[in-house]
Amino acid sequence: MKAKTTDKIATAVIYGIAGSVALVLAAMLAFILVRGLPHLSWHFLTAQARSFEAGGGIGIQLFNSFYLLILAMLISFPIALGAAIYLNEYAKPTVWTSMVRTAIEVMSSLPSVVVGLFGFLIFVVKLKLGFSIISGAIALTFFNLPILTRSIETSLSQIPNLQREAGAALGLSRFETVIHIILPAAVPSIVTGVVISAGRVFGEAAALIFTAGQSAPSLDFGDWNPFNLASPLSPFRPAETLAVHIWKINSEGIMPDLSLVSAGASAVLIIVVLLFNFSARRLGTLLYKKLTKS
Amino acid sequence: MTKQSETILQTRNVKLWYGDKEALHGIDLDFANKGITALIGPSGSCKTTYLRALNRMHDLEENVTVTGSFNLLGKDIYAPTTDTVDLRKRVGMVFQQPNPFPFSIYDNVAFGLRLAGVKDKKTLDQAVEESLKAASIWDEVKDELNKSALGLSGGQQQRVSIARVLATKPDVLLLDEPTSALDPVSSHNIEETLLSLRDQYAMIIVTHSLSQASRISDKTAFFLSGNLVEFGDTRKIFLEPEKKETADYISGRFG
Repeated sequence: MKAKTTDKIATAVIYGIAGSVALVLAAMLAFILVRGLPHLSWHFLTAQARSFEAGGGIGIQLFNSFYLLILAMLISFPIALGAAIYLNEYAKPTVWTSMVRTAIEVMSSLPSVVVGLFGFLIFVVKLKLGFSIISGAIALTFFNLPILTRSIETSLSQIPNLQREAGAALGLSRFETVIHIILPAAVPSIVTGVVISAGRVFGEAAALIFTAGQSAPSLDFGDWNPFNLASPLSPFRPAETLAVHIWKINSEGIMPDLSLVSAGASAVLIIVVLLFNFSARRLGTLLYKKLTKS
Repeated sequence: MTKQSETILQTRNVKLWYGDKEALHGIDLDFANKGITALIGPSGSCKTTYLRALNRMHDLEENVTVTGSFNLLGKDIYAPTTDTVDLRKRVGMVFQQPNPFPFSIYDNVAFGLRLAGVKDKKTLDQAVEESLKAASIWDEVKDELNKSALGLSGGQQQRVSIARVLATKPDVLLLDEPTSALDPVSSHNIEETLLSLRDQYAMIIVTHSLSQASRISDKTAFFLSGNLVEFGDTRKIFLEPEKKETADYISGRFG
């Protein structure tokens, strides 16, 4: 009887704690969405920002956020994949491997503002890349790499050793086993990890303030030559992202309708991140079904 | 029992160390080019360890040293010039847990061939059908070859695993307790499959089931604590073993 009572109390407490965590999240989401959603319109999503008058939009910032995300992913994914394959499939427990692991752990706990300042000194100043998308993308890579490497490594380690033995027993080299068996089997969970980390990168601000810059020059959406500075694809133009935009207009306090714009921009940011997170699992399951079917 | 004469695999003085601990203490065993040899013995007798030495699966582990001579059709398995990839194609292995890849049944069986460069659809189709038939699972899966192998029952998965190995046409088939994770009906099916392959392949099976060894094997080797205690015709090992340890184990006095 006594054990039962204790169990009941413990269960109630645990439910309570879990519930309050969910409640905090729900309250925050509701607050941001309720404030921001009414302000959303096609005009707001596509128009240029205006610094000194009301009625501006977030079009360029939104585009910049996605473009930076894609570039950062293009740079960090191959490196993270290689590192994760090395760590999980090849590395033997030596001093060298433990050093690599420690480095990854340290990197993942670096404050993003420090990563941003580092990127500013090295890429923006030293390498003379200026406030540019490419500087921002590299800074984001630093920020993203450890998380992505860990998540891919976890995905790989979840593939049972039986699969590796089966590959070896069929006469596959280690590399062939990785390419033909382990990776396809891990793809769904890798994709889930990539999309979730994309959500984090999308909302990152501190690492970008000093690297991708705080200005969003107007773009010519008719010009897709990446070598023209006015082209949306140019990696050498400064590019303020959505998260940086929210930070900037609030710290400057000049924009007359800044509370409306930042509420709307926050809502957009949250919605995109939520979409990433929700679609991650779905995409993973879908891919798994597709890959294992034929 | 089928009569065999030719030796396909000859091992002499096989020793194996985990670190500096000697686990196998010098095993001499010969295997005929056809028929089933059962390796029996209590847990910890290192029969699986010996089996895995035959296709160099220990290469995948750290800190394992293997010595002795392994002669597969005149070639030394552990020679520096031996390509493990080629070796494992000739000495196939089926594991305790069914381990089909997370692909379709067809792709599982065609896997080894595709890797070897076979692209012709007709050749692949034919090989897949032959292998699945040889593994006695063709009739159960022929209409759903494009479905995931993971959707099959454990017993079916194990037979697909066998078909996958057979497709690469190995000389020797190693089976590491292939039925211990399966229910009795599936085990029976696997045994039937193995019996039907007995005239074509040299098979070496590690089993904990004495009745299984007595039902399907031609020869039996009894392992105890890393030593080979007795080796001979299965009938003789089970009915009139020479060594006391063998008799004790067979009659269930230990193990």
